[in-house]
Amino acid sequence: MTGTAIEAAALSRTFGRRRKAALDACDFRLPAGSVCAVVGPNGAGKSTLLSLAAGLIRPTDGTLTVLGQAPAAVRERLAYVAQDKPLHPQLTVADTLRFGRELNPGRWDAKVAERIVDEGELEPDARIRTLSGGQRTRVALALALGKRPELLLLDEPMADLDPLARHQLMATLMADAAEHGTTVVMSSHVVAELDGSCDHLLLLGAGRVRLAGPLDDLLAAHRLVTGRADASLDSHTVIESRTTGRQLTALIRPEGPLDSGWQATAPTLEELVLAHLRAPQAPVLRLDDVREAAV
Amino acid sequence: MTAVTTIETSTVATSSRGPRGLLWTMLRVHRSALWFWVLLVAFGAGALLWAHGPAADAAWAEFRRMGCDSGQPVLGCDYIGTAYDRYDTFSTLGAGVLGLAPFLAAAWAGGALIGRELENGTAQLAWTQSVTPARWLAAKLAVPAALLATGTLTLTLLHRMMWSTDGQLRLAMGSRDWYEGTTFEANGTLATAYALLGLAVGVLAGLLQRRALPALGTAVVGLALLATSIGTLRPYLWPVETLTAKDGYPEYIGMVLGDGALTSTGARVSDPMCIDNAKCLAKHDIVGFYRDYHPSSHFWPLQLVETGIVLAVTGLAVLIAFRLVKRRTGAAV
Repeated sequence: MTGTAIEAAALSRTFGRRRKAALDACDFRLPAGSVCAVVGPNGAGKSTLLSLAAGLIRPTDGTLTVLGQAPAAVRERLAYVAQDKPLHPQLTVADTLRFGRELNPGRWDAKVAERIVDEGELEPDARIRTLSGGQRTRVALALALGKRPELLLLDEPMADLDPLARHQLMATLMADAAEHGTTVVMSSHVVAELDGSCDHLLLLGAGRVRLAGPLDDLLAAHRLVTGRADASLDSHTVIESRTTGRQLTALIRPEGPLDSGWQATAPTLEELVLAHLRAPQAPVLRLDDVREAAV
Repeated sequence: MTAVTTIETSTVATSSRGPRGLLWTMLRVHRSALWFWVLLVAFGAGALLWAHGPAADAAWAEFRRMGCDSGQPVLGCDYIGTAYDRYDTFSTLGAGVLGLAPFLAAAWAGGALIGRELENGTAQLAWTQSVTPARWLAAKLAVPAALLATGTLTLTLLHRMMWSTDGQLRLAMGSRDWYEGTTFEANGTLATAYALLGLAVGVLAGLLQRRALPALGTAVVGLALLATSIGTLRPYLWPVETLTAKDGYPEYIGMVLGDGALTSTGARVSDPMCIDNAKCLAKHDIVGFYRDYHPSSHFWPLQLVETGIVLAVTGLAVLIAFRLVKRRTGAAV
């Protein structure tokens, strides 16, 4: 078994006086070296989870361990890019990179940071406030990668990029992560942007873990089946089913061999996620071998 | 896939000289505020130096030209001349910068230094760039505090210089006393202490509100309330001295706190307003009058006690700010 990048035990975080729960008793484990997608609808708790992991806020209850320690103790080893890509608007691109260098003494890799900025053909003298959303994202990523993190936390990283820039930046990011063995945890509600790049999935819904585990295992645990509307799927866990005329299509977790009447295919990541999002009552599936707290 | 991440710390040859790390960050991010402060201090210093030099000389020349130094009563000397007016304006401007500094510091600290950074996430950006929130807050307090103190102390020294040499002029014109609000603060340690209080209150307001505009408002209102309440206490921070006299009131000097009549038992009563009516005085058993006041020798005791209180409140605000940041972000181990 590989090491653990992030481990949560009964992790909860509430906000405001009404104590609305953004995360509610979450248990999961993200292995080190993986590229993990944190997926869920808006308000599922993705941003809260990443803020907690970055040591920006504290859990209300439960524990969160990052790289084997409390998040606040490993600031130097992790990088975080917030959803709105905060940067000082009055600084130039060059000054923003120097900002990273000055605040990460002994860790800063100027080559990596400059390469990412250069690929976007950004003027070093351009002020951040004059940049487009995509250019800001690029600078924010340069700041994050420049500090050579062991764990990279990205909150909706590609949301404001055009498809070409998204593809290009994702490739840069993945190449860099693969080269240095960086663990990447990336939240998104655009499932398409994660397909093909992530190998671990954490699906959140209403502050709770819905699915967690290696992507391949999760996909293998489900089947997209098509058959006659009157056929029975009783022996299996049905996540979602739809009837069109006399035909029934369903995403199921097979609990044994399927009847021969069913046509089964492996679902895509998108089909898996969408089915679970449409069926909030579907049972939780965790394949991330969380070590249960043995008290 | 192995999980071991190799940390290649390819430290870049940092060639440029000058400030480093958080200090560089502070000076660069808040460069316009820094320039504004430098210009404001330069403006205040210029006004005070001008008042001290050319303006004071012109006021004296005018004074003599009108024959007011002849010892004879001259009607025109009851009015303040234009040259003295100008001298007064310049010294007011110089002292005004000192009076304004705490509120500017509070507004800026609440709005720009802390509130805006928490609102738009640049504070969080720093916290994920290998800077603990506590170190971040320490830099946010220390760098502006040093610059504020340097500026206010410079202006205070200039104001004292002007004040000590222009005493005759003020006496001749009968304007400005040592205990008047702005003058009292500008002549001692209080201007600096209040500026630091403004910074601390602003920082705390920023941390509490987490948004620029509400933090700015809270900071200014909070500082106004604190400064007003401490200012109200000012006359009571050192024991007063009392003057008594048998016939009529004693001389009116210094910072007067109260006066009234004395009975034969020595009890203090309110003045029955007998004026010179002996019968009336006898009826009320009035044998004298008293007046409580602070002589100008109480300047430093009053100044230092109040400075101590202001700095204690500042320290408290700073302490709360650090605890707040640590509690919110998970205490740095």
